[in-house]
Amino acid sequence: MRRAGWVLLALVALAAAGAPWLAPNPPDVRFDDLLYAPPTPVRVLDGGLRAPFVRPLRVVSRVERRFEEADRRVPLRWLTGGTLVTAAPDDGAPLLVLGADGYGRDIFSRLLYGARTTIGLALLATVLASLAGALVGGAAGYAGGWLDGVLSRLSELVLVLPGVYVALALRAVLPLVLPAPVIFAVLLGIFALLGWPIVARGVRAIVLAERERDYVLAARAAGAGPVRLLAVHLLPAAGGHVAAQATLLLPAFILAEATLSYVGLGFPATTPTWGTMLQDAANVALLGDAPWTLVPAVAIFVVVLGVNLAVQGSGRAPVQLDR
Amino acid sequence: MAGLLAAGLAWRGCPPDESPEPRVSVEASPIRGGQLVASIRGEPRTFNRLAAVDQTTDLLATLMQGRLVRVNRATFELEPWLAERWDSSPDGRTHTLHLRPGLEWSDGTPFTSADVLFSVRAVFDPVVGSAAASSLKVGGRAMEAAAPDDRTVVLTYAEPSGPGLRLLDMLPILPRHVLEPALEAGTLADAWDATTPPGQIVGMGPFLLREYRPGERVVLERNPRYWRTGPDGEPLPYLDRLILEIVPDQNAELLRLQSGAIDLTNSELRADDYLPVRRAEREGTLTMVELGVSPDADGFWFCLKPEVKRADPRFAFVRTREFRQAISHAVDREAFARTVFLGEAVPVWGPVTSGNRLWFSPNLPRYPHDLDRARALLAGIGLEDRDGNGVVEDAAGTEARFTVITQRGIGYYERGTRVLAEQASLVGVALDVVPLESGAMIKRLLACDYDAIYMRPLASSLDPAGNPDYWLSSGSAHLWNMEQGKPATEWEARIDALMREQARALDPLERRTLFNEVQTVLAEQLPVLYFAAPRLYYAHNSRVRGVVPSVMRPPALWSADTLSVTDAP
Amino acid sequence: MARFLARRLLFACVLVLAVSSAALLLTRLAPGDVTAQLGAFAPREEVERTRARFGLDEGPLAQWGGWLARAARLDFGDSFLYNRPVGPLVLRAAGNTAMLGLTALALATLAGVPLGIFTGSRRGGTLPGLVRAVSLACLSLPPLLTSLAFVFVAARTGWLPAGGMTTPGAADAGWGAWVADVAWHMPLPALALALPVAATLERLQAQSMGEVAGEPFLLAAAARGLSRRRLVLRHAWPVAVRPVCAVYGLVIGALLSGSFIVEYVTAWPGLGRLMYEALVARDIYLVAACAATGGSLLAVGTFVGDVLLVAADPRVREV
Repeated sequence: MRRAGWVLLALVALAAAGAPWLAPNPPDVRFDDLLYAPPTPVRVLDGGLRAPFVRPLRVVSRVERRFEEADRRVPLRWLTGGTLVTAAPDDGAPLLVLGADGYGRDIFSRLLYGARTTIGLALLATVLASLAGALVGGAAGYAGGWLDGVLSRLSELVLVLPGVYVALALRAVLPLVLPAPVIFAVLLGIFALLGWPIVARGVRAIVLAERERDYVLAARAAGAGPVRLLAVHLLPAAGGHVAAQATLLLPAFILAEATLSYVGLGFPATTPTWGTMLQDAANVALLGDAPWTLVPAVAIFVVVLGVNLAVQGSGRAPVQLDR
Repeated sequence: MAGLLAAGLAWRGCPPDESPEPRVSVEASPIRGGQLVASIRGEPRTFNRLAAVDQTTDLLATLMQGRLVRVNRATFELEPWLAERWDSSPDGRTHTLHLRPGLEWSDGTPFTSADVLFSVRAVFDPVVGSAAASSLKVGGRAMEAAAPDDRTVVLTYAEPSGPGLRLLDMLPILPRHVLEPALEAGTLADAWDATTPPGQIVGMGPFLLREYRPGERVVLERNPRYWRTGPDGEPLPYLDRLILEIVPDQNAELLRLQSGAIDLTNSELRADDYLPVRRAEREGTLTMVELGVSPDADGFWFCLKPEVKRADPRFAFVRTREFRQAISHAVDREAFARTVFLGEAVPVWGPVTSGNRLWFSPNLPRYPHDLDRARALLAGIGLEDRDGNGVVEDAAGTEARFTVITQRGIGYYERGTRVLAEQASLVGVALDVVPLESGAMIKRLLACDYDAIYMRPLASSLDPAGNPDYWLSSGSAHLWNMEQGKPATEWEARIDALMREQARALDPLERRTLFNEVQTVLAEQLPVLYFAAPRLYYAHNSRVRGVVPSVMRPPALWSADTLSVTDAP
Repeated sequence: MARFLARRLLFACVLVLAVSSAALLLTRLAPGDVTAQLGAFAPREEVERTRARFGLDEGPLAQWGGWLARAARLDFGDSFLYNRPVGPLVLRAAGNTAMLGLTALALATLAGVPLGIFTGSRRGGTLPGLVRAVSLACLSLPPLLTSLAFVFVAARTGWLPAGGMTTPGAADAGWGAWVADVAWHMPLPALALALPVAATLERLQAQSMGEVAGEPFLLAAAARGLSRRRLVLRHAWPVAVRPVCAVYGLVIGALLSGSFIVEYVTAWPGLGRLMYEALVARDIYLVAACAATGGSLLAVGTFVGDVLLVAADPRVREV
């Protein structure tokens, strides 16, 4: 089971990393005639076995979202134009593996590119939160006294607050519309701010315990200063815990990005991320006609499942008690 | 034309026995009783029509209050309402209205001309500061009201008014016996706010307030003392109860309409929503109605305020009409309609669309899709692509590159700006679209802190004299140069003069001719560009009968007293 | 014990004060203000009146001071969006959120804990394996996804209302009918919220049951010949439930967190949706009141969690 989890995560990471190569179409190209188009079936039979091909879709009624297949065959092109496989997007015959969204953009390509943004943001935020948490926890655990008191109270306060509301409030008090790179930085900051106490608490406890161990006392007797003690001896001892906590932070941050983008306070709608793609699924009355718009939800589920499988049995509280 | 003549008759004043009675278009034998659930998007902020002019307050005033005359939202004719007939002086300044006999307020107090006097006094009272006053002023001054007896009111305008009595459609008639103390104390603007106990709100409309649960719904019940009767002589409304459910999200509204939780909405459908509605129509649960072409279209304009833009090198060519005409030529309006409105739109070249039947002019200058002509126009003012990067620039090297701000989150705006940017780029004008949230956009609009903007300003009235703020240079909605005070160009001065004349003219044909000239000037100078106006559709539950659809909002509830349901208990 | 309680009470008051003050100041410092809601063409006097009414013409600190002083007299200001005092508005929304949260909590506990006992007390077998797999899947379904999925299913099948708390038109049919109506609308959001939490509790309970299974005291009891049911329920579970109790405070926090998106997607008229709209509209006093109420809910929740923690693990009392 654990292995299955890591395999899932590895697949997702590979897909995200290889997005420019795996995506049949650029993520922001709009096929104006193919709004909410269904996934393009790839066929091999046409009076005999042929190379895989697609039939271009023609719009019959825009308003009723009815399409029909043209008679001509458009063979798939492999390893051309920097992509693994594509059809003929410039010719009105794009390969829409998972259909198109409300602006006629390829959902599959946006999913891959969106994975980069969403997972990238979550990963960076996890690293940042872990670093910050380790430092603060280490300082608090080592120093003790009033520093420990202040930092502990602070982290307790942050831990108690429901993460989604704090993120919402912090984001909402900034200008509501910001360019995508700025939003990336803002969300990074907010997530790190919310995530560090989780790591800090455990690190503090470990440092507190390790502080009195023989090897630490010996190092101190040998003249090592606090910084060296922390960096070389104490924090590495907490390394395993930090890693475990970090693995749990990742899906929490993915979800936070999805939630914020879904309610319109995350990335702008043109930027492909899993959260902004879910906005298309907000019009529930139309979901039945275009269920492929729910694919980002499946993607999120896969990642979270992967993490849960991977950390299963490690004795930690499972992911759902997230911030 | 017929509507125009009928309206003209009403303006001139007809002999008492020839007044057109308000038409009640209902089905043969509507069932009495039952309840209907409608959705509204915004919370009621107040029940006092003088204190706010937003759509929800307006709707509630339509449902709970009466007025002297009514402009039928479907035929655009003037109908007697609380006033059963009227005479007007030949100079169009004095109007004598005769009120219907035996009318009562919902609490039983008799309705008299003193209430009308009070209402006129209240709307123009400076302490109240009602926003409704500006649309009731003629020649910038308030009207005078006198009441020779209990059933007669004499209104005197400061100058002849083209719209004439149609202005009174905007005057809420308020109960003197309830609100006069507040007016005397100077607190009328705060009266009847959202926390008012329902029993205190007295009106002459078809419904009374029963309950308001904030965040949830407003419950109205029929007014047993409503004056209007149906064709069968029995009092209206047919419904026992009307519930206004507060649903801020349009997606949720559609869902509820589909599932039957609500019977009708107060806004037209979006093009994206036609599919499930058409399906429901085939199944028989919903009825889809075509309202007509929208009277408003999305507009695109540059800020042309000289004081702010003078230092901007791009202003030198933006202020020429050739530049704007070039963009108008560059846009393929058919493609625009296809992409933005999924084909359900008509091309337009001015602010008055064919949906505004009385005032639309089909003979305005048009700008057919012609890229060569556009490029030629640009070259004519010195804009060419000298460096081959696809964007034209002038001799000094200033590129024709602009940012276009628009309100984010609205599908039509986002699609519209995208198409506009793509098509403008074909002739070398680069437009970078920046979606903003509405507060930020409004702020920049007011401060002229933008290059260009794309949005749909809603006209409050189909009659152009009812929108002086848009047409007149001194107007607060003079979009391309807000609050400029005086005309900055010769053609703006011409429009000012024509609009004033038009507002004073009594002959409807004369008014039309004058306004056509205004539209022509606007179409030649193009301070604002228009591309396409959507065809509006509306859907309601099939159990609702007696819907008289209107292209203006609210599409169905403007005639709430004729609504009935098929399954009343 | 009394000291512990007093400390927690103090902490709660500090929390509520800090959270609401922070919300007030943040909203005040945010770009834009509530007058944007008046629209592009509002007359200047109305804009000025609104600014004065919401204290926007004084400095942020002065406004905060004034708000604190008035709050001490239980006057929390007006809301622009609803044009009425903030207190009853927020209380009603908080009540709706609490209703939802408590129902979800009950559902999660009633489903998760017994299932956890079941799977934890058996080794192998297809049914426990199935439950474990379903649990793992539900664990990975955050409230955002579950609420979207449920609303979709409800809209297509019509088995349950696809959102909202009450049926439009069920205006005044009496108290009993209102309760029934709300109960009819409750399952969708409550399930969406409860599902992942139930799965978590199940996993946790199963884990701790499994750990307890090998304990000597249990072996001794088994040797005495007690029935399996007595073993599990009377001897194993009281020990195994302690980690679950310890975690309850976090559970309540997670429910409050998750309730935001569930309220948003299912249009449940709770605190989450109210606060979101207030934040976006910069309706300053409403934001502060929502934050204060949310903080209070949170404080109550964590207090309950702490009580359970103390009951579960007496060592904590020494702290």
